[in-house]
Amino acid sequence: MIDTIEKEENIISEEEAAQYDRQIRLWGLDAQKRLRGSRVLLVGLRGLGAEVAKNLILAGVKGLTLLDHEQVTEESRRAQFLIPVDADGQNQAQASLERAQLLNPMVEVKADTDAVGSKPDDFFFQFDAVCLTRCSKDLMVRVDQLCASRNIKVFCGDVFGYHGYMFSDLGQEHHYVEEKPKVVKGSNEANDGPEAKKPKVDPNETTMVKKTVSFCSFKAALEVDWTNEKAKNNLKRIPVDYFLLQVLLKFRTDKGRDPQPDSFAEDSQLLLQIRDDVLETMGLSSELLPNTFVSYCFSEMAPVCAVVGGVLGQELVKALSQRDAPHRNFFFFDGLKGSGVVDYFGSK
Amino acid sequence: MAKLVGPLRKELADSLSSCRVLVVGAGGIGCELLKNLVLTGFKNIEVIDLDTIDVSNLNRQFLFQKKHVGKSKAQVAKESVLRFCPSANITAYHDSIMNPDYNVEFFRNFQLVMNALDNRAARNHVNRMCLAADIPLIESGTAGYLGQVTVIKKGQTECYECQPKPTQKTFPGCTIRNTPSEPIHCIVWAKYLFNQLFGEEDADQEVSPDTADPEAAWNPADAAARATASNKDGDIKRVSTKEWARSTGYDPVKLFNKVQLFKDDIMYLLTMDKLWKKRKAPLPLDWTEIHHLESSQEEACGTGLKDQQVLGVQGYAQLFHHSVETLRSQLIEKGEGAELVWDKDDPPAMDFVTAAANLRMNVFSMNMKSRFDVKSMAGNIIPAIATTNAVIAGLIVLEALKTLNSEFDQCRTIFLNKQPNPRKKLLVPCALDPPNPSCYVCASKPEVTVKLNVHKTIVQALQDKRFKSGLETNNNKFLSDFGIRNGSRLQVDDFLQDYTLLVNLIHSEELEKDVEFEVVGDAPDKAPTPSVPEEGKNIANGNKDSAQPSTSSKAAAEDDDVLIVDSDEEPSSSTMEASPESSNRKRKHHGTDTDDAASKRKRLDQQPADDDEDIIALD
Repeated sequence: MIDTIEKEENIISEEEAAQYDRQIRLWGLDAQKRLRGSRVLLVGLRGLGAEVAKNLILAGVKGLTLLDHEQVTEESRRAQFLIPVDADGQNQAQASLERAQLLNPMVEVKADTDAVGSKPDDFFFQFDAVCLTRCSKDLMVRVDQLCASRNIKVFCGDVFGYHGYMFSDLGQEHHYVEEKPKVVKGSNEANDGPEAKKPKVDPNETTMVKKTVSFCSFKAALEVDWTNEKAKNNLKRIPVDYFLLQVLLKFRTDKGRDPQPDSFAEDSQLLLQIRDDVLETMGLSSELLPNTFVSYCFSEMAPVCAVVGGVLGQELVKALSQRDAPHRNFFFFDGLKGSGVVDYFGSK
Repeated sequence: MAKLVGPLRKELADSLSSCRVLVVGAGGIGCELLKNLVLTGFKNIEVIDLDTIDVSNLNRQFLFQKKHVGKSKAQVAKESVLRFCPSANITAYHDSIMNPDYNVEFFRNFQLVMNALDNRAARNHVNRMCLAADIPLIESGTAGYLGQVTVIKKGQTECYECQPKPTQKTFPGCTIRNTPSEPIHCIVWAKYLFNQLFGEEDADQEVSPDTADPEAAWNPADAAARATASNKDGDIKRVSTKEWARSTGYDPVKLFNKVQLFKDDIMYLLTMDKLWKKRKAPLPLDWTEIHHLESSQEEACGTGLKDQQVLGVQGYAQLFHHSVETLRSQLIEKGEGAELVWDKDDPPAMDFVTAAANLRMNVFSMNMKSRFDVKSMAGNIIPAIATTNAVIAGLIVLEALKTLNSEFDQCRTIFLNKQPNPRKKLLVPCALDPPNPSCYVCASKPEVTVKLNVHKTIVQALQDKRFKSGLETNNNKFLSDFGIRNGSRLQVDDFLQDYTLLVNLIHSEELEKDVEFEVVGDAPDKAPTPSVPEEGKNIANGNKDSAQPSTSSKAAAEDDDVLIVDSDEEPSSSTMEASPESSNRKRKHHGTDTDDAASKRKRLDQQPADDDEDIIALD
């Protein structure tokens, strides 16, 4: 896994150095090497999937597998920029492959046309990280449980109209480093006066600090108990998007698809119904999620895919390179307000 | 219930297909932005960029591939977008937005302008054009993990220049010349040295010891005396560096040992003993001595990049020698009176600065730096990644949708942080500020109405009393000789205050005795003196304008305090910016009847043009 990367190709070529120059100057050569040794599975190649694919390929991972069993439709083709205009009827992952590969020939990009639900457990073990989009809640729970035990980083994300979320499970013990400014020690040379400046120590010098953080499962994150007093008191500080997510995941499970503009009237009704059910089950009021939400959660907004895909892509880079504090464990984006919050749900 | 077209309500979707938008810049933000615009449903897009594609762009400017290196960014971006959206109507310009062809009328073609720039001069320019055309502008910037988006609408929000932006950081001459304490001081010195030897000599870029350094004098009177003395002789040891170098045939060893460099000048500095009372004194280097040292300090780093190695003193002495010889050849090839321009991507130029800076660091007991690090600092490189640009470009389009609907109350300034703030926000939307009433760019031009007799008042009278006309040769002519009559509007400029005033004239023959003119109604207040720009820790608005060293994620990461930041480094041909904007630089005029003076600028370089003309607009 990631720890064994050190043994693999440790030399970075001059070609890579030239192409990755501007990002090596940001996250350092060590992080770039770890990326270079990582294999990632990306499930779902619609708007959000295409954004994540682009971001990972540009970052320079070793390999990216695009997994999608669905076929290209006019709607899906318009939602993303990797599928050529004449690809209607082809498999979505297959159709995205060529353009994805052209983004960075140094990455091994593959297409897999199977349904993720049909994959055996050991399929997932070849990857360092897995990113699931457009998957049902049960599927995400299963894959997460499977992978976390093997220290495979798990990410989930979706875009619903103007709203989007990202979830991560980096395991019980995720190790990473942070770059901190070096603490300048006092003078210890006898011949310098007490006020002597020390030009030797560059004020911009930094040091790497090691840290560890733990994450809970997707299941635990979604099954928070809201009936106790403490939870109820904290409700004001909870992003409403968390409950919106629960509603949309339930819709996806019940209907086998996401809300569609073609069946706007019918789907809106169902969404409101599901909202009532879900909140009631949690012991919460329907007013928590006002009716207006239905107008803004259909289809995938391209700019929202870009924002969520950007954050999700960067979280993958951080986790694979083991550098910088990961967001823990949800990121919610509300495209109407322009607000993006990070919050933790689940067992601490 | 609303009808949807995809995720959007129908009215919004329809307005997107008909509106025309302008994207200024096709780089990091620009590529992401173009993609988002077409996928969202925008149909009519014009994009402009003066730059060509470089291999270092390919980690984030995803519309470009390796085979496109050297080609026009705007052109290739257009072609790539058309691949996945052939129905989009895109016009690409390989040109500078500051070209006079793109006048106010050009801007008026669009319902919205979106900046994807990396330098302040262009931003200022577009800001003024959009104000003049009254078109909303979405401004944005990124650096590393940080980014920002905001909306500018004349009369409703602050414009780009309402608040003073921090000027680029500069260092005092004596720090560069006498008492460097950080690597950046040595790097700046090395760039100055390059110019003194091979490039355009600049009086502000002296490299020799500064004898007038106030810190060097034990006796204040002494310092004053030295200062006068050096001014008189034009600096005591004054032989033009370049002349001297030429006289020795640019002999690297002589350069190394002699004046300006690592031995003789350092020994001279040592005689200014007060400087070293509280600082570690510099240790001079001698060429021959170095080569007798053990070559011990090389750090062989097999797994790293060549550029990231830190050499020893010998290594840098060698590099110095080699690069001087190469640059000397370049100079000879160019012929008589030739000058070289420093370029971080020109290997010998970069080698020279790396070597010279490191040798000086060694002299002043600092840890030496790799070529990689020196290049970052010398070249003002701002690190950049795809994801930050992707997020910001997404936010731009979301603001664009609100702007097109004229929902300015919904528009926000949004900051992207590296980590969530205490209120858990990673993306922080903030309400837009109203225009600054004293902003000299966007505040309505002050006006006054004056009653006088155009047949009897001469131009000189205006100058003496309250206004300056600047047309010295015309001072004794009557206003009416110029066709000035009742109802004329004059625009006058007072250079000292950097102030423009519109004067409405009412002709009258009924003024009181001895009264030359009468102000009707209120006279406006004088313009406020432009506040001195602060040097701050904030990220500059254009690292093309910035001398501040850029190092990875250490650039200002304060919560919610991020200013608009930039993503690209200085162009090959620019030299180190030395002077901050001077407060008495004349402003461009936006006359009522003349062309916008901004459109008169012919130069395409990034320096703001000095407008040396004062214009009076006449009816």
